[in-house]
Amino acid sequence: MSDRIVGLGLMILAAWYGWSAGHYEADFSDPVGPAIFPQVLAVLIAVLGLWLVFRPDPEPRWDGGLVLVVQAASIVLMLAYALLLVPVGFVLATTVLAGVLAAMLGARPLPAVVSGAAVAVGCYVLFTHGLELALPTGTLFAGG
Amino acid sequence: MDILSSLGGGFGVALQPFNLVLALIGCFLGTVIGALPGIGPVNGIAILIPLAFSMKLAPVEAMILLTSVYYGTMFGGRISSILLNIPGDAPAVMTCLDGYPMALKGKAADALAISAISSFVGGTLATIGLTICAPLLAKAAIYFGPPEYFALFVLAVVAVGGVGGANPAKTLIAGMIGLVLSTVGLDPASGQPRFTFDSYELYDGIDFVVAAIGLFAISEFLMFLADKEGGQAKRLPVGQIRSSFRDLIFPAATLRASALGFVIGVLPGAGATMASFLGYTLEKKISDKDGTFGKGDPRGVAAPEAADNAAAGGNLVPMLTLGIPGSGATAIMLGMLVTLNIQPGPLLFERQPDLIWGLVAALYVSNFILLVLNIPLVGIFARLLTIPTRYLMPVVVVISYVGVYSISNSAFDLLLMTGFGILGFGMRKMGFSMIPLVLGMLLGGPMEQNLRRAMQASGGDWAILVQSPLSVGLHLATIAMVAAAIFYELRRRRAARPAVE
Amino acid sequence: MKNRHVRTGARAALLLAATLAVSGFAGSKPECIAPAAPGGGWDFTCRTVGRLLHELKIVDRPVQVTNMPGAVGAVAFAHVAENRSKDGNLIVAASSVGMTQIAQKRYPGDADRMRWLGMLGADTGVVLVKADSPYKTLGDLMKALKADPNAAVTGGSSGAGGYDHLRLLLVARAAGMAGPDLRKIRWVQFDGGSTAVTQMLGGHIGVVTTDLGEISGFVESGQVRVLGALSPDRLPGKFAGLPTAREQGFDVVGLNWRGFYTGGKVTDGEYDTMVGGLKRLYDSAEWKKAAEQSGLTPNWVGGKEFEAYVRKSIADLRSLSQEIGVIK
Repeated sequence: MSDRIVGLGLMILAAWYGWSAGHYEADFSDPVGPAIFPQVLAVLIAVLGLWLVFRPDPEPRWDGGLVLVVQAASIVLMLAYALLLVPVGFVLATTVLAGVLAAMLGARPLPAVVSGAAVAVGCYVLFTHGLELALPTGTLFAGG
Repeated sequence: MDILSSLGGGFGVALQPFNLVLALIGCFLGTVIGALPGIGPVNGIAILIPLAFSMKLAPVEAMILLTSVYYGTMFGGRISSILLNIPGDAPAVMTCLDGYPMALKGKAADALAISAISSFVGGTLATIGLTICAPLLAKAAIYFGPPEYFALFVLAVVAVGGVGGANPAKTLIAGMIGLVLSTVGLDPASGQPRFTFDSYELYDGIDFVVAAIGLFAISEFLMFLADKEGGQAKRLPVGQIRSSFRDLIFPAATLRASALGFVIGVLPGAGATMASFLGYTLEKKISDKDGTFGKGDPRGVAAPEAADNAAAGGNLVPMLTLGIPGSGATAIMLGMLVTLNIQPGPLLFERQPDLIWGLVAALYVSNFILLVLNIPLVGIFARLLTIPTRYLMPVVVVISYVGVYSISNSAFDLLLMTGFGILGFGMRKMGFSMIPLVLGMLLGGPMEQNLRRAMQASGGDWAILVQSPLSVGLHLATIAMVAAAIFYELRRRRAARPAVE
Repeated sequence: MKNRHVRTGARAALLLAATLAVSGFAGSKPECIAPAAPGGGWDFTCRTVGRLLHELKIVDRPVQVTNMPGAVGAVAFAHVAENRSKDGNLIVAASSVGMTQIAQKRYPGDADRMRWLGMLGADTGVVLVKADSPYKTLGDLMKALKADPNAAVTGGSSGAGGYDHLRLLLVARAAGMAGPDLRKIRWVQFDGGSTAVTQMLGGHIGVVTTDLGEISGFVESGQVRVLGALSPDRLPGKFAGLPTAREQGFDVVGLNWRGFYTGGKVTDGEYDTMVGGLKRLYDSAEWKKAAEQSGLTPNWVGGKEFEAYVRKSIADLRSLSQEIGVIK
C-alpha cells in the first residue's frame, strides 16, 4: 500500500513538475531551453510512478506508538533548533539539542545535560578558534 | 630524465622543514575535516583559505597546506563512512556500502586499514601519473566538447542503475528525483530561476552538502531512535586489526580502481565522486562472484578508496595545466592560485617550475604522511565507537548542523537539511537507495548544461550529439551497458524459472 | 527618580550612537559583506580590502567579513536594503556582474536603493579567437557576423544575457547590428573563462568574450589572439600590445570592476568618510600590489562620480537587454 501511495504521489509530483517547467521560456540562442530537460524527467517519473502503483513491493514495517511520538518530537526539536539557533545563540541552543537527543536515546538527565554542554562548548571552541568560523552568540540575551 | 631532475628540485622545496610541518598540519586537519560529516573537501579548503592568508604564507607554502588538506579529506572521508555509515564527503558515499557492513561484523579496524592502504596506493599512483603525463593527458581533455561531456554524463547516469537496492524501479526513481533536485535554482544558461517558489534561498540551488547530510546523518538518527525503542541499541563492536598485512592489500582491485580513478579525475567535470562510484561498480562487476559485495567485502572498500584518491590526484592535472577545475575542491584551489598571482595554464610548468614541482613533490610527501598518520590513527578513530551511541549520535547531529550552518549562515538550509532527513528516513524504510538520488543531484546540472551547450553551438541541430568519434564511442558504451543489464536480467530469470517449475 | 536614570541612560546611549555614527567606518564593528560563498571573487574583494583597511589603520579594528551567498548577490542586496540601510559601518562587495543583474531587474529594487562608494580596480573584457583563426581584427569578426550572425559560435562565462554576452553584443551593436540580428548570434555559456577558452582551443566554439585576468596565461602563451580589449585606453605593462575596441572604431568599454556599495540611508558624513577611506586604501602601494596579484588593473572611480557611472552603465545594459529581449 505504501508503495502505491508513493507511486501516486510521484505521478502528481511529475505532473506538477512538468507543468511548471512549461512556464520557463526558451531563451534566444538556446534551442533546448530551460523547459525540455525537466519535462523529459517528468514523463520518466510519471511512468516509474505508474509502475510502482501496479507492481508494489511488500509492505515495509512502520513503527507505531511511542517510537513515532519520539521521532516526531525529535524532528520538532531539530526544526526548532534550526529556527532558534541565531536568536538564542549556539552554546545554549546546542546544549539543549544535544542534551535532549541524548535523553531520547536513553541517557539519564544529569549525564544528558553534561554531555550536551560538553558538546556545545567543545564544538564552539573548535569551530570559532580552530577553524575561524563565526557561530551565532545569540541576540536575545545580549542586553540590547 | 628531464622530469626526474625537475622532480628532484621539487623535493628540495617540499622537504624544507617548514613545508614539512605545513604538510603535516594539512594532512591532520584534512583527515579530521574529511571525517566530520558535512564539512567535506570544498568547505574545508574554503575555510582554510583565510587562514593561509592570515598566516602570510608564500604561494608554494599555501598550496602545500591546501593540497595536503585536500588529500587528507579524501583519507578522512572514509572514516565516518565505515564507523557510522555516514559519508564524510561525497566521494566516500561508496565506501559505506561495504565499509559499514565490515564494521558491523566487527572488522572496523580492518576496514580502516584497508582503506588507508588503498587510499595511499591510489593517491601515490595518481601522483606518479600526474608527474609523468600531466602535459600529455591534459591535451586529451581538449577533445571533450559539450556533446562529448553530455555523452559521458548519460553514461554515468545509466550506470547509476547498477547501484542501489533490490528494486531497479526504485533505484531509477531515486536517480530521477536527484536529477529533479538538480534543476532547482538559477538556470546558468538563461539566468532564470526554476522551481524556486520565489525564494531567494533556493536561487543557488539545493546545496549538495545540505541534502547529503540530511539524507544520511539525520535519517540515520531517526532510524536509530526506532531501533533503540524497538529493542537493543545498535552499537558496533570494536576490533583490533584481525588480518595479517597481506590480507589488507588487494593489489588487483586497488590497481584497477586507481587507474580508472586517475583517468576519470583528469576529465574535468567528473570528479572523485564519479570515480569512487565507477571504481566500486567496476570491481563489483569483475570480482563479485559470490554476491559478497554490499555485505562487507573488503574489495568493496579498497576499490572506491583507491579510485577517489586517484581521482583527487587526477583532478589536479586539468586544474594545473589548463586552469580547469575538475571538482568543487580544485575550483576553490584555482581561485586561491589566481589570488596568489599564479596563473594556471599551459605556461605554468615552464614559468614556475619551483612551484609546480614543489607541489607535486609535496603530494608524494603528504601521501606518505597520511599513511603513517592513519595506520596508528586507525585505533584512535575506531575508538570513536566506544563512546556510547546515545552520546555519539547527538554529537553527529550537532556537527551536521554546524557544518551546514558554516557553509551558508542560513537557518533555511538547516530546515532544508531536516526535511531531507525525513525524506531519507522514508526512503530507507521503503527500500529506496539514497545513493542514486545523491548522484543524480551531482550529475544532473552538468548533464543538462552540456546538452544545452551542444545545441546552442549547433544552433538546434541534434546531429551534433553524435558527430565526433568520441561521443559515438561513449554512447555505444552506454548502449552496451544497457544491453548487458537486460541480457543479465533475462538470463537470471531464465535461470530462476526451472527452479519455479 | 527611576525615571530620570532611564532618561540619562537613554541620552547617553543616544550620544554614544551619535558619536559612532559621525565617526563612520571607524566605529564599533566595521563589516564587509561578500554576497558569495567563500572562495569567489566577491569573497576575495572583501577579504583583501578588509585586511588592508585594518593594516593601513584606516579602520581601528579588524574588518569582519560575512559571506552571504545567494542569487548572484540579490540575497545580500535584499538584506542590506531591508535591515542595514542605515549602517554606516558596512560595505558590500559589488562588481559589474551585480550591476548587470540590477539592469535586468533581478535584484529586489534598483541601484538607488544603495549608495555606491567606489571601484578600486577592474578586470578588462577581451574578445578572443584561436591563434590560427581567419579573423585578424575585431572588424573582420564584425563584418562576418553582420553578413551572417551564425558565422561564428561565441561563448563565455556568463549565461545568455549575462555580462560576458552583453559585452560582445555591445561591440556588435556598435558595429551597426540591430536587435533581431543580435539575437541570432549563437552564445554558449561555460562555467568559467578558462573553460570557454579551452573549448575554443578544442575547436568547439569560435569566439570567446570574458575577463582577461583569468585567461591571461593563454594570451601570453600565444595560443589565442586578442581581437579587442574593452578598456578605455591601452592596458599598462605586458598587455600594452593588445589593441582596444575603441581604437578600432567600436566605442565600447566593458570593464568588470570591483568595488563597494553601502546602505541607501547612511548619512552624507558617513558616506564621505567611507569613500575617503577607500580612496586612501586605493592610493596605497599595498593595494596596487594586491590588485595586480588578483589580475586587476587598479582603477579609482569614487563618490558622486561613481554613482553616476553606475547609473549610466545600468541604463546602457538595460536598454541593450530590452533590445535583444532578455527583459521585457
